[in-house]
Order: sequence, then structure tokens, then C-alpha cells
Amino acid sequence: MNKALSQKFRFFTFICIALLAYVHGYNLKETYLAPYSTVNEPLTFTSFFEYFVANGLLRFRIPMLFIISGYLYAAYDQRPYLQQIKKRFKTLIIPFLLWSAAALLLTFALQQFSYTADIVSTAKLDQLQDNRPYTEIGWRGMIQRWLSAPVAYQLWFIVSLFIYNLIYPSIRWLVIKIPYIWLPLTFLSFFLGFQFIYIDGRGLFFFSLGIFLQKKKISIENQPAWFSTGLAFIFFIGFTVIKTFMAFELEPNTIGTSLTLLIFYQLSVLAGIMAMWFGSDKVIKWCMNKKWFHQASGFSFFLYGMHVPLLPYMMTMAVKELSFLPGYRLLSYIIIPAFVVVLCLSTGRVLKKYLPSFYGILTGGRGF
Amino acid sequence: MLFYIGRFQNRKALIRFVYMKKILLLTGLIYSCIVCAQQGYTFNRISTDDGTGLASNVVYCTYQDVKGFIWVGTANGLQRFDGNKFITFGTSNPGSNKLPVADLAQILDAGNGNIWLFFNTRKEVGVFNPITFDYHIIPIKNSQPIPPRANMRLWKDSKKNIFLSIWKYGIIRFDEKQQAFTDENYFPLPAGWKASTSVFEDTLRKRYWFPCPDSGLAVYDADAKKVYTRHYNPLHIPLLENKIIQPGVTEFFIDRKRRHWVFNWTGGQNKWCFNESGTQLKDTAGINDNPEYSELVNFFETKDSVLWVYGANGLFNYDNNIDRFYFYETASTISATGIRYQSANQVMEDRDGSIWIATDNGLYFASTGSGTFNVVNLLFDESKGAVDITDLLQLQTGQYWFSIWGRGIITLDKNFDRYDAGIYNSVPAMDNARRTMYNQVWALYQNTDGKVWIGCQAGKYMIHDAATRKTSFLDLKEAEEATIRYITADKRGTIWISTQRGHIIKYDGKTFTTVQKFGTIIPKILIDNSGLLWLATHNQGLYCLTSDGTKILRHYTSDSKTNPLFINSGSDIDQINDSTIAYGAGALNLINLKTGNVTWLTFDDGLPGNTIQRVRADKNGNLWIITLNGLCRYNSNTKRFTPYGRKDGITLANMTTKADYQCTEHYIMFTGSNAVMFFLPSIFDNQEPPPDVVITDFKLFNDYVPVDSLLALPKLQLNAHQNSFSIYFSSLSYLQKEKLTYYYKMEGIDKDWIKADWQSFVNYSLLPPGSYTFYVYCENIDGIRSKNITSFKIYIKPPFWRTYWFISSGLFLLSLLLYTLHRMRVNRILAVEKIRNRVARDLHDDMGSTLSTINILSTMAKSRLNTDTVKTSEYISKISENSQRMMEAMDDIVWSIKPMNDNMQKITARMREFATSVLEAKDIEVDFDIEEKVYDVKLDMEARRDFFLVFKEAINNAAKYSKANKIFVVLITKPGRLELTVKDNGKGFIVAEADSGNGLNNMQKRADAMKGVLQITSKQGEGTTVKLTVPVL
Repeated sequence: MNKALSQKFRFFTFICIALLAYVHGYNLKETYLAPYSTVNEPLTFTSFFEYFVANGLLRFRIPMLFIISGYLYAAYDQRPYLQQIKKRFKTLIIPFLLWSAAALLLTFALQQFSYTADIVSTAKLDQLQDNRPYTEIGWRGMIQRWLSAPVAYQLWFIVSLFIYNLIYPSIRWLVIKIPYIWLPLTFLSFFLGFQFIYIDGRGLFFFSLGIFLQKKKISIENQPAWFSTGLAFIFFIGFTVIKTFMAFELEPNTIGTSLTLLIFYQLSVLAGIMAMWFGSDKVIKWCMNKKWFHQASGFSFFLYGMHVPLLPYMMTMAVKELSFLPGYRLLSYIIIPAFVVVLCLSTGRVLKKYLPSFYGILTGGRGF
Repeated sequence: MLFYIGRFQNRKALIRFVYMKKILLLTGLIYSCIVCAQQGYTFNRISTDDGTGLASNVVYCTYQDVKGFIWVGTANGLQRFDGNKFITFGTSNPGSNKLPVADLAQILDAGNGNIWLFFNTRKEVGVFNPITFDYHIIPIKNSQPIPPRANMRLWKDSKKNIFLSIWKYGIIRFDEKQQAFTDENYFPLPAGWKASTSVFEDTLRKRYWFPCPDSGLAVYDADAKKVYTRHYNPLHIPLLENKIIQPGVTEFFIDRKRRHWVFNWTGGQNKWCFNESGTQLKDTAGINDNPEYSELVNFFETKDSVLWVYGANGLFNYDNNIDRFYFYETASTISATGIRYQSANQVMEDRDGSIWIATDNGLYFASTGSGTFNVVNLLFDESKGAVDITDLLQLQTGQYWFSIWGRGIITLDKNFDRYDAGIYNSVPAMDNARRTMYNQVWALYQNTDGKVWIGCQAGKYMIHDAATRKTSFLDLKEAEEATIRYITADKRGTIWISTQRGHIIKYDGKTFTTVQKFGTIIPKILIDNSGLLWLATHNQGLYCLTSDGTKILRHYTSDSKTNPLFINSGSDIDQINDSTIAYGAGALNLINLKTGNVTWLTFDDGLPGNTIQRVRADKNGNLWIITLNGLCRYNSNTKRFTPYGRKDGITLANMTTKADYQCTEHYIMFTGSNAVMFFLPSIFDNQEPPPDVVITDFKLFNDYVPVDSLLALPKLQLNAHQNSFSIYFSSLSYLQKEKLTYYYKMEGIDKDWIKADWQSFVNYSLLPPGSYTFYVYCENIDGIRSKNITSFKIYIKPPFWRTYWFISSGLFLLSLLLYTLHRMRVNRILAVEKIRNRVARDLHDDMGSTLSTINILSTMAKSRLNTDTVKTSEYISKISENSQRMMEAMDDIVWSIKPMNDNMQKITARMREFATSVLEAKDIEVDFDIEEKVYDVKLDMEARRDFFLVFKEAINNAAKYSKANKIFVVLITKPGRLELTVKDNGKGFIVAEADSGNGLNNMQKRADAMKGVLQITSKQGEGTTVKLTVPVL
């Protein structure tokens, strides 16, 4: 892998994680946004903007992270399988358990005070839709949340990645031997949002694509001659804008609407990946020349692990407390995620400086 | 003779009635109203004539669903009533049976909002879904023929089994698996025992009772799964051993008191009542009061244990107060209870406790079943002369006195029994005219000393001492023979008297003094809480006097510029609270004591009519008002009028216009003419929240849309043009219907709640596209809101061209178009640039170098022209060759640029021309073989040039080096490509050893530029083949 590609990977890994804050920091009435989610609130600049950003513009990130993961895994797959898995357990599963527990403890602690308990209750983060205090839910429920339904819901990504790593030999075989069957099949599962327990169909395609690109030595550093960045951005922004308006205006809860939104969503994701990957070279070059970017991007995983549930709780609190201000929702949406990113990076920096070994465990040894 | 109390059945009934009133005070329980002293309910009739849309006056059955709608089965099919109107249901949905318009005899709950229907004449049972409008006939799979005229009855037991009782046949059950009624002998009655349709399930003992007319009573024990009869009675069930009732038993019922009601036929219908141990009871009293032939076949018991027995020509309810049945006459004239029928088909109690009776003469409704009222309406007998009550009084000892113009005073004790108070026992000697005047009583007042002041005609008055039973017959000289209209006293004990001619006379215990004289009738004096005197006058407005009556503090008239009255003539006045006086003068005039301001409340504000006769404030500050249009209550807190009428048990309000009185038990009495009406105000208070509001109808433009289907949707979707509609709503409390205030809000338009006044619908016109939520709730007269706010989501789709997604799609396409145009422009510029670059390069490469060679050669030739002619000739020869090659190159450049040469015809022609010109000179035969399809191939300018130059190079090489005498040129197409083959029969060469030189290299480069493949195959002595394959479109 050459330096240019390596820098591109580093840039997008950090950017994709940092932008998570804006994906998870919306304050719409709808607390969970699926690709086909309609918006059950009036169309205002704030609601449009939040939906446009959180459920459109920034949705290229996870697929891109899966492509990068697949590519990198394929590039270094010469090591023995068990050694690989052992390493992945250390870099994925242990951080998962720690961050999940941390989020659980934070939530539990907040539930002990009436003001913060109200914040927790209003945020409605529980993946099992049971937002009662943990004292009412009990140990069994808490363990269930720790292991399988973390309140730090973003951790699904590393669990999913670990699963792909476990089945990597099979995926590699399929990608190399029958790519023209396997890739369309996984593309379909991505497009339709297939999910089977921990195997996330959306990620499988992009993880496989990353492997394919690496194994077939397909150049992804420079844009192909046939590629038009301008067109890619027009499709990316265009599909996202149209899809956002559709989410407000189409008849909710119908198959037709869900399917339409899903198609536009996935097309915008695909266009977004292409546009961002090939259209950001100048930005990448600029960022890579900045010291602060290099420093910040070293804390990508820490930022990833820490930002939820901190961000939703802070957002809920901000919306509650700033409601006297005009445009408080939009203001909160712009400021709070940025603040949380800065807070996470600062915390990571302090931990890394003073408790490097603990930081290392938390991040699976990343950033050293 | 003075009066008699209507039609009480006996004295006991009257006492019970008064007792009821006392019980109410003690416990707050509410009892049934009495009209003309009758024990029956007061019914309101709903018929085909009243505009509600009842399909037929022959109503067979009623049923209230979980939402509160009343479903009725009529001779013309199924209807639903929302309190305002009936909706007829019918269906012809695909896959559904047609819902008959026929005599619908029974409606039963089928769960999930569905209903069972039984059509009597058609003997058809079906299930109807009001949401989908599907109706499915349920087949009856009988094992034996059903008698042709057999009566049938559909019923449901506590386990939700559905049965069909068929007279003289038996009982069949609905089988869910088979979706049919099947004859499975669910109740194994003895052979030959055929139950009538009157089956009763005793849920307490888990027994089913079957009256079998030809055999006797049979009991099925659900636990033991055994049937007991008089022939097999191991449990010794007493009634089974009763020989009087068996056989011939047709009806059976057990009420909550465990009374067993058994009817049997022995020539006529006999009615029996037994207790659980089989002892006969006398509770059938009154049930045989009907002199006409009747068939009582149905029983119904309300939640308050009022038993109803009814059928053809008979309708009875058991009055638990007098322990006997009350018979509702089937009179040919309308009876006092308001019901008229030949056949009472069904009695039903709704969730408010109101009674609904389906008859062959319409649907009847009585709102008193659950006992929300205790209103007494009494009529004095006028058979021996007119009765015109002028005033009433309740003595401190509890007796009631009624003054009657021309007939003295009627005195009743606490139990409403007449007693002799001895008022006229010691009338002194006087002439008849004078005596008559003392019988023309207008005003009654009991002073704190217990003496009753009685104001009469022509200034006469009496003072009766109840303790000594002595009456003084007096003449009030200060009245100047004017009739005494009103007597009252202030807190200091001063008696105030008003007269027909406007005298205001006070009596301080010693002397009478005339303090004012207005020259008009003063029907009422009110002494307010601060002691000021307020005078209601005829035609002179309202006066306010100082507490000694000497000064007029205020005078309100209808002519006043500031604070005018509605009209000048007032009939009554009362104080609502410390700051408000209510003056009944046409409309309600409210006088603010602090500011002096007058506010009118009129018909427009909800007053039943601008004809107020009486006003009376109760202890809670509510004002009870009698107008010529009836009784209403004004709540000064909510500022709302609530009318009360027949539904509430108020039947005589328009007659009780002369006087009012607040009794010691807080009863309010109104009287006038020959009527007395009284009630406890608090019984109209309702602390229970009204039922939640239901959307009853949805009208799109002018068409009703089936609302059940709409409400089943999460959101009603309307197209852009469907933006004018009406929403109808109702709380479905038939009891409180007129007393509820609805508040609604359409989120998306309305910011605040809107009071719906008395309307129960709202119109929306030309709503812009968008999402809306309609919210509605109701509030009863006591300000208690319905528990939940009802909501109804509506989405009006915008026309697609006005949606943002469409507009943004348009902008997206426009962006694509603009970008494409931009790219085309850029590409065109790039293409031109590319041509210019190539021409420049070609000119430079081909022309430039050759011209400079020519220049050098010519210079050299010039310099040796005279010295070395041989060299000069050689130079000139080279100049000639170079210029020739330059011309050819120029020719190639020009040829390749010319657009007219873009087709393959031109290319092949040039190829022929070139090959011929080169090879002829070498005496080499050339054979061209060009496939016809080749002429359809398109090559762009670059490819054309490269293609030609590869060919040219191949021919040149063959001409120069091959020593061939024949060259084959083949040009063919293959799928997606063009293939050129140049083959010679020359000496050949070893390709690997060949000097690639510029020639072969150029050929390869040109082939690469075309993304083509160049193959050169050659063997020494076997000639050479050059094959160029290029991709084409």
C-alpha cells in the first residue's frame, strides 16, 4: 500500500467517525432513523437540515469504513487465522465490552438523580425499548444490555466487524472464486438492508468489496478516467435532498414509500462513497499537512467509543435547557456534537498521556 | 277537594316518594322521576317523523357497541344511531353477502367490533363487520327439518358460545371451525324435550335453564354435564318438582335477588315467582294489571336491579320502592310516560344507565334508569275548578303552603298529606266580597317569630300564628286597597311589602310606613347581602333603594344610555353572589354590584328564551331560571346555560312560572298554574367524566364516508382536491347529550382550542396540503372533561408538482443537464484542442523536418550547382523525393481531417487508390476483398487516420521488402470489431529478428491508440500477414 492510499484511509477513518457525532446527534421527534424513516413533524429548516445531514448526507461513512476494513484486512491476511482472531478479539471485543459497560454505568449513574434521570428517560436510548431505571430492570436486564443491546448503540459496528473477521476465510474465498455471484448477492443484501442476528448485510457487501479491491489490485487511489466527480456530487447531493423531502412528504408507513426512500437512500450512499472518495483529494492533502489533524485522527477509536451515550444525553439536556432560545434545536444540533467531539478528543488525549495502558486497552492498542 | 296527587297507586306510593327525597339527602343516591305522580319512566320517542333518519318505526332490537353507538334492528334492516342521526348500513362488497334490508330481529356482539345479526323472516344469521362492510351469512346445518314457522332466538352464554334456539326443534351452536351452526346436541336434553327460545344461563350456579313447553323445565349443569328434569332430579332442585308450572312452561328468568320467574300457559299466560328454595313469592303484584291480552316473553334486569318484563301488548318494570310491577299502558292515546306501543321488542340499558325500548311504534329512550335525577312533577287536580297557584312557602316546621288565587291556601304536611292549618277557622263576620278578598291570596311569608304573613287582594292581609292556629284578618291602609304582591323581611326584622300599584311599605314591628310609591306592579323585593332593597317592577325597570327604602340609589331602565336593561318589565330578581344580582327582565340582566354595570345574557348566549319568569340561585351560586321555554341553569363560573327538559325528568317547567322557593333541604321549588315542580339542584351535578368523544361521521364535500373504515386507518389520506370536509363528533352519552360542550382543535391550523357551542360537527374548507390532527374533547356542565382527547389524523397530499421532492427532482435533473452541457462544451474544446495539437504535431513532424531537409538539400545543391553537377543532381533528386513525400503526408493530414472522409467507403477507396498506385509501380498484383458490412462501420477521425496509416505502412513494407507478386487485402467485420488483413506471397522474414524500426513501431503505436491488436506473422519463403483488429461501435 502506498503512502497516498494510506493517508486516504487514515483521513476517512477519522472523518467517518467524527461525523458520527452529527449522525447520532439529531434532535428530531423520531428517535431512531432508519433508511426508510419518514418524518412525523412539520417541514422546517431545522427538521429538514437535521434529517438531511443525519439520515442522508453522512450515511456514506459506515460503508466506507467497512470498505477500508475489508481492504486493510485483506492486505494483511498472511498471518495465521487464529493469530488474527486473537488480535481482533483484543482490538474489537474487549473495547466493546469496556465501552458498553462504561455506557451502562454512566446511564445508571445518571438515573440516580431526578434531573439527569429525566434526561435519560427522555433520550430513550434503550435498544430494547424499555427505558425504565436499571434498578427496576434488574441485573439480568443490565447484563443483556451490556452484552447484546448496549446503550452505546454505535458499538454494533465493531461486533459486526469481528463477525466478518471470524468468517473472513469464507468471505475471501467467495470474493476470489465467485466474485460475480458473491458481490451482487451481498449488494442485494446491502440494498435491501438484510440483517441476520449479528451479520449485517449492509456491511458485508462493503467489507467484501474492500477485499475484492485489494485482492484484484484495483487501483483506488486516483479516480478512473470514466469517473466524473462533478456528476458524483450532483447525484450524491441530489438524491439526498430528494430523499429528505420525500421523507417529509410521502405517505408514511406504506410499502411504496419505504421502498422509494430505501432506493434513494442507498443510491445516495453509493454516490456519496464515490464522490467523497475520489473528490476529496485536495482536502485530504490539506488535512495531511496539518499537525492538529494528525494528532486528532490518532484518537478516532476513542471518539468512536465515547461519544454515545454522552452525545444523546447532552443533546437532550441542551434541547431542554435552551428551549427559550429561538432556533434552539438547530443551534443545539450544530454546537453539541462539535462540543462532544472536542470533549472526547481531549479526554482521550488526557487518558493517553496519564493512563496509557488503560487507554491502550480501551482502544485495542490503537493510536500508539 | 283542594287537590289530589295525580295517579299515585296508593298512599304508600306517595310516602315512598317523599321518603325517596329524604334518602337522597342522606346518601346522595338518585331516584326515578315522577310525572303526574306516576312511577313510570319518562320516555322520549325517536321515530321516522323526527328527522333523525330512523328507517322504520318497527324497531326490533337495540345494541350498544364498545364505542357507545346504538345499533338498531328495524323492519328495514340495520342502522346505527349516534345521538343525532341514524345511518343505514348495507353492503354489496365483492366477496361479501348482501346485507338484507329486512326485519332485523337481533343484534349481538361478535367481538373485534363485529356484530351478529339475525333476520327473523329470512331465518338468516350473519356476521357484519362495520369497518370493512363485509357481511357473511352463517349457514345453519340442521340434522332434521326445522318447522317452517319456528321462532328462533340467537343468544350468547358467558363462555361466548353463540347458540340459536329454535322453537320445537332445539338448540344449535356456532362452530368456529366450520363457521356454521351445527346440531351437535351441546345440551343433551332428554329425547322429546324441546326447549322454547327463552333459555336462561344461571352464571352463579353454572346452570342453563330450559323451559320446554311440552315437557317441563330442564336444567343443564355445566360442571356435571348432566341434565336434570322432573323425572331425574337427584339434586332436588325445587322448581323441577313444582307441578303447577309444568308442563306448559315457556319463560324462565332468575334475577339478582335470586327470584325465579316462571311463566307458563294453561289457557292463558300465568306468571309465577319463586325463591331459590321453591317457595312462591307475591312479587308478581301488578304484573296482571293489563286488562288486555298480552304475551310477556322477555326479561331484562338493569344494573340497578330494575326488572323489566315485556312482550306483545305488555311492558312492565318492577318498582322496588313499592314492591310491585308498574304497567306501561299500550294506550291508544299517549300516556303520561310518553310511551305507546303494541309490542315491546327489546329493553336495553346503555352505559349511562338509560333505558332504550325497541317497539313497533318507534324507539323509546328514558334517561332515568341509572338514577341521575330526582325530579318531582306534581299536578293539582282541576276537576273541581281551576287552580292558579300564586306563591308557595315551606314553614319552619316543614309543612308546605300553596296560595291559590280565589281559593285560599292549600296546606300540606311534610309527607305531602293535606292537613288543616286552621287558617280560615275563625273568620270574623264580614261581607262576602271582603271574605272573597281574603281567599285571593298573592303572597306568603313566614317571619322569624313563626307568624305567617299572607298578602291578599285589595290591601287585605292575614297574619297566621301557627302555634295558636289563629289568624288575624287585617287591612293594610298604607296599601290604599292595592293588592299585596310580595312580602319579605330584612335582617333587622323589618317587614317589607310591595303592592300591585307600586307601594313599598315597611313595618318595623310597630307601624307601617309607605317609603316609596312607584305607581306600577312590584312583583318582587330582594334585600341583598348588604341590606339594600332591589325592586323588580312592571315596565319601570329596576330600582335599588337604601336599606331604609327612602332613597333611590340606582335606577336601571332599558332607555338608559349607560347600562340599559334588556326590557323594563321584570318578573323576578335574586342575588347570585356578593357582587352579582340577577334580574329576570326578558333576558337575564346581571348587575355588577361593585361597578354597577349591566350585562345581558340572551337567547344568543344559550338562554332557552328571552322570556324569563323566575330566577332562583342555589347554594352553589348556580342560577335556576324558568322561561316560557322551560328550565335552565346558569353557571356563573363557566358562564354557561344548561337546559333541562323531558329527558331530565322536567316536564312541567313551562307551567311553574309564578313562584319559587328554596326549601330547607336545599330543594328548589317552582310553582304556578296547577303545577309544582321541585328538585335537588345537586342531583344534576355529575362528577363522572363524560365518555370520550367519538368521531361519528366524516363528510367529504357533501358525501358521507364510512367513518369506521377511516378510523381504522392510522391516518386518513386525502388527495389535494379533497380538502373540504366536515367532521362529526359526539361523546355518545345520550343522557348528557345536550349538556356537553365540545372543544376541538385542528393541529396544523388552529393554535387554540375552539368551543363548539352546541354543534357537534365542524367544517373545514379548502385546507392547504399538509398533515393535520383533529383533536376533540368534551366537558360536562360541571366542567369535568372527558378522560381522553380523541384525535384523528388527516393528511392532505399536495399535488405532486407542488411537492418539494418533485421540485428538487426537477432541480436535480436540471443540474444534470447543465453539468452535461458543460461537460460537452469542455469536451468539445478539448477535442478541438486535440486536433489542433495533432495537426500542429503532424505539420511539425512531417512537414517541418522535410522542409528543413529540402532547405538544406537545396542550399547544398545551390552551392554545388556549378562545381558538382552529379551531387547537385542527387540533391535535387532527394529534394524531389522529399517534396513528393511531403505532399503525400500533407495529403494524408488533409484527408484525415476532412469530415467528408469519415465513412468507410472513402477510407476503402483511399486504401485501394494508395495500394494500386504503390503496387502497380512494382508490378505487384493486389486483390481487395471488402465485406459489405464494413461500409456500415464508423471510425472517428483519429481512428480513421491510424487505421489508414497502419494499412499504408503494411503496403509500403510489402512493396519495398516482400518481393511478392501478389498481395491480398481483406477487410471484414466481426462482432464488435473491424479486422484488416494484408497478406503477401513474398519471401517473408523472421519476425523476431526483424528490425522493428520506425515503421513497425509506428504501426504498433497506432494500433494501441485505437485500442486494437496488431499481429504480424511471417515465415521465410511463405510470405507475411499483417492483421489489425480494432474495436468498433
